[in-house]
Order: sequence, then structure tokens, then C-alpha cells
Amino acid sequence: MPPRLPLAQAAQAARCFSLSIAAPSQTTSLVSLFAGLSIQTRNAHILASISDNKGAYHKRIRKGRGASSGYGKTSGRGQKGTKARGTINPWFQGGQTPLIVSHGQLGFINHRAPEMSIVNLDKLQQWIDAGRLDATKQITVKELIESGIVGRTYKDGIKLLARDKGGLKTPVDIVVSRASASAIEAVEAVGGKILTRFYTKQAIQRLVKGKSKHTTEPLPVGAEHVEPVLEQSRTTKKHMYRLPDPTSRWEIEYYRDPAHRGYLSHMIQPGESPSLYFKVPSEKPIRATKSKAKAEAAAEDTLF
Amino acid sequence: MAGKGVKSLAEAMRGLSIASQTFRTTIPVRSSPVAAVRTMATEASPVGDITRSVDQPWQPLTHVPLTIYSFPALEPKSLESWSTRHLHLPLRRDILHLAVVYEGDKTRQGTAQAKTRWEVAGSHRKMGPQKGRGMARRGSRQSPLLRGGGKSHGPRARDFSTKLNRKVYDLAWRTALSYRYRRGELIVTEDGLDLPLPDDFLQLAEAGLLNRELEDGFVRKYMGEVMGNLGWGHEHGRTTFVTGDRRPNLFTATEIAGEEGRALELDDVDVKDLLETGRIVIERQALREMIKEHSSDLESRIVVNGIRKEGPRLGTKLV
Repeated sequence: MPPRLPLAQAAQAARCFSLSIAAPSQTTSLVSLFAGLSIQTRNAHILASISDNKGAYHKRIRKGRGASSGYGKTSGRGQKGTKARGTINPWFQGGQTPLIVSHGQLGFINHRAPEMSIVNLDKLQQWIDAGRLDATKQITVKELIESGIVGRTYKDGIKLLARDKGGLKTPVDIVVSRASASAIEAVEAVGGKILTRFYTKQAIQRLVKGKSKHTTEPLPVGAEHVEPVLEQSRTTKKHMYRLPDPTSRWEIEYYRDPAHRGYLSHMIQPGESPSLYFKVPSEKPIRATKSKAKAEAAAEDTLF
Repeated sequence: MAGKGVKSLAEAMRGLSIASQTFRTTIPVRSSPVAAVRTMATEASPVGDITRSVDQPWQPLTHVPLTIYSFPALEPKSLESWSTRHLHLPLRRDILHLAVVYEGDKTRQGTAQAKTRWEVAGSHRKMGPQKGRGMARRGSRQSPLLRGGGKSHGPRARDFSTKLNRKVYDLAWRTALSYRYRRGELIVTEDGLDLPLPDDFLQLAEAGLLNRELEDGFVRKYMGEVMGNLGWGHEHGRTTFVTGDRRPNLFTATEIAGEEGRALELDDVDVKDLLETGRIVIERQALREMIKEHSSDLESRIVVNGIRKEGPRLGTKLV
């Protein structure tokens, strides 16, 4: 940085030089061109002079490499004992029977459980207010990821939760993987629409990359659908992957459930339960009549 | 000193010739009056240079001119205006260092691998009795003490690559280009940069009248002359040519006459290449793509009301 003048002096200087500033000489004389040549040019290569800022690197401490380093003989671990020699397990209780031995391990971690990104209602409203999400159109997982509300990461899906559920004011049409009961309630309370749809990590990846088209319809099932789908794939140039449907029982049941606003809930026939295993308990207990008859028969049989 | 003076005069005359009117002589677009060129850091500059009256706000440089030349005639063909954030960034040696180290680490092959005693094939049978041989005790044949045994602390195949934030890396690309631009060592040519070989040579070569040795000899001499006339050859620190794809004449000529320079396809260029030789000769479209590809720190990834804040426009044509 060139030396700076104090402000008073600078103002004075500006007045002195105002004439020369107002009318700078545009013509460059040959003399001034030659004056520039008095620079001593050195062809030192830039690769030889690039280095990181001073202090950007910490030199690694090399323990046990000589007394002069200060970390020589005992490497900073003091004299003798367990801490000088090695480490102890975090569960070790000084020789007392550890909790993990006396009580055993509780629970387990399900590594196969789908990992969901979380979107809360207050953040959704913030994003809509900031113009980062368009509430006039349907908001799907693709839009949510592209807007950066879940950090542009591909997980197995997005779950809508209801933190500050009174905070949502805009009616939205939103499609997510899962939604909490109170989130569904809050979205519908302001006149919005919510649907849960099955996604996989790969499906989300393809949606974001434009390799598949979003739909809330499940895949068509049946021989009559084969030909039209094949015909479409033959005629269209770009191959579009179709979104998958759930195959596991738990997931099918989740998306069949109208309480979850599942996209398969229209498949439930009247009187049918979302569960694939349990029937809806009928109003008339069947056994009651039998037991009544039995009781009557028993009553007839009794002598006293 | 007299010799130096003569040399300086020669340099001055060459500087005034049309062919080398690159960028050092072009006056950058500046709305305020042009300040006198500073010569040495220690030299006292006139007071008018460092002070400004209060009513004149500081207006920094926003755009710099870039001339597009023909090759090899180096006639100026058009003039473009480029943002200072693309081609006139301050020289950050630390950023360049980070990028060059990052590239070096990434390029390391890391495939050196020696077998440990557990990986050397063979039986682990004890080689002889523990005692009574009158010699050292011998365990397995794979012991690192024995010939044919494993290596104790040998190299292991590993990944040496380090990480660098993309925005920092992109800044390094444009910093390197800016450094070249400011020194007048970035020469941008029209699209389709290639070395035109003489027609009679091409006819002879196509007719098969020249053997490989003759062809190479001619191309080497021709390339040497072209580069010598331009002042771009090995005496002037060589030249890196950058093109979008492989140009047969240019790439063959630089392979034969490697002492004059090198030619790289755009995909093969990295920051270190931009800093290595005496100058960079790049075709217009390749430069545009290079800068477009490396401007992640200028543009926003946040879309507000369907609009993303984009960085400065790529060069616009003035003439």
C-alpha cells in the first residue's frame, strides 16, 4: 500500500493538484514509454514462489523422535502406568463388573432402516416466504432438494414434521415420503394438500437429475398395460425411469393408510383395512351367538 | 550497463511493433483519469497518484479488454470486454499454492506396494530346530530378515488425494489466468487454433514422397522457425497451446518439437499447466469454457422466485 497522507494534507494536496487531475495529459510520450523499461525484469518462475499464508499450516508434532523435541523419551505420556502404555475401554469401571457385563446390551441399531431427511413446517414457511419454494405449484421431493431445504443431499426420503405448526400460513400442495400426524393436520388446516409417496434414494437421485418424471400414480399392474408402456418407450427418444412402488409389507401398509395420506390409499376397498394381514373387526362378534347357544345348551343340560 | 541499455532499446523497439501489441500496452477501461504507471515499489510516486479529491468517488476497474488474434500472423481480429472478476483478479499466491498442491496430490498414483511377511506365499513351517544348530534360530521362511522374505515397513498402495473446496479451486483457475493476462502472457486466438503447414510440404507428404525422418525433420525446423519469429520458443520459456480438441498439425508439431512448447486439450489442462511455460496461447472458445467451468464462487446456487444470481457475464464483443 502506498503511504497515506493525513486527511488535512490530502485535501490540500487535492486542491493543489486539482488542475492536473482535471486535465490529465492523454498523450503518452516516447520518453515515458522508455522510462518503463528501467524495471529490472527477472524471469523467476511463479511456481517457485507460491506458498500458503504464514501460519496456515501447523507443523506436525513428531513424538518419540529425540529429546530436543520436548516429546522425546516418554512422548508426553509421563512415567509408567496404564496411561503411559495404552488405552482402556470406555466401559471399564476400574475392575468392578462393568454395566455392560452385569446388565447386557439394550436394544440395537437397525442399519437397514431408511434414513429420512427432515423438513419442518416453520422452515417450509420460511423458504416459501423467501421465494425459494414456489407454493403455487406442487412441491415434491425434487423441488425440496433443489431448493436446498434439506441441504442437497440424497437420503432415502423426506419426512415432514410439525415444528411450530401454527407457523404455516400458506396453503401448499406437497408430496413427501412421510409426514407426522400433526404435520398433516397443520397443512390441511390452512387449506393445503398433502400426499405421501414411496421414494428410494436412487429414485430421488433420478428425479433431481431429470432422468425420471414425477408422478403420484402407482405403476400400472396387469397384462393389458404392457403393450402401451412398451409402445411409449419405443416412440420416446429419451428413456425415463419410472418411480418405484413399495414392496415390503410395512411400507405398503403405510402408503395404503388414509391416515398417512398415502398415495395407495385409494386401493382400499370399503370395509378393508390398510393392513395386509389383519381384517377390520366386524361389528357383530361371531362367537357371541355360538357361546350363547352353548350357554343355553349348558343351561338345558343342567339338572339343578 | 551499456549492454543493458542497448538491450533495453531493442526491447523498446520490439515493444512498439504491431505483432507484440498484446495487453501490456492496451489501456484498461477506467472511468477516472489514468494514473501514471508505477515503476518500482520503492520509487516515490507523485502525490496526485495516491490522493483523490473528496467529490470524486473511487471507481474501481470493472472490465478489462481482451484482444482476439489470428494465429500465427497475430493480427488483432476482435476486442472483447471481460469482467475483472474473470481476468483481472489480484495475485493470490496462497490460493495458487493450494490448487497446485491439490492437483499434485490428486495426480499421485499411489500404487507402490510391497508384500509383508503375511502376504509372501509359502509354508510357515519352522525352518530348523530352535536349538543345537550353532546358528541363529529360524522361524518361518517369510521372515523379513531372510532373502525372499516379506518387507517390514514397505510401501502400501494408498490414495494420496487431498481435498480443496471447489470455490477455492475455481478461484485459483481464474487467478492463474489473471496473472497471465496482467503480464501479457495470455494470448487468445480465434477459434480453430492450428499450425498451418506449407502446402507443398503437405502435398509431398500426402504423396508419400517423404519418409518419417524427413517429415519430422521438416516439421521440427518449421515449428522452430515459427516460434522463433514470434519470440515464443525455448529461448523465451516455451509456450502452452490450449485447444478444445486435438488439432493434428499443432499437436504433432509440439510432440516433435517439444522444446518449443506443448499443446493440451482443454480437458487435460490444470492450474499448474497455466503457470508453467512462458505464455499461454488459447483459442477463444476454450477460454470461455474454461472460465465458465470455473466460476462456482461467482454464482449463487440459491434460486429465489425462479431466478438464480449469476456471476458476471462472460466476455462481450466490443469490436
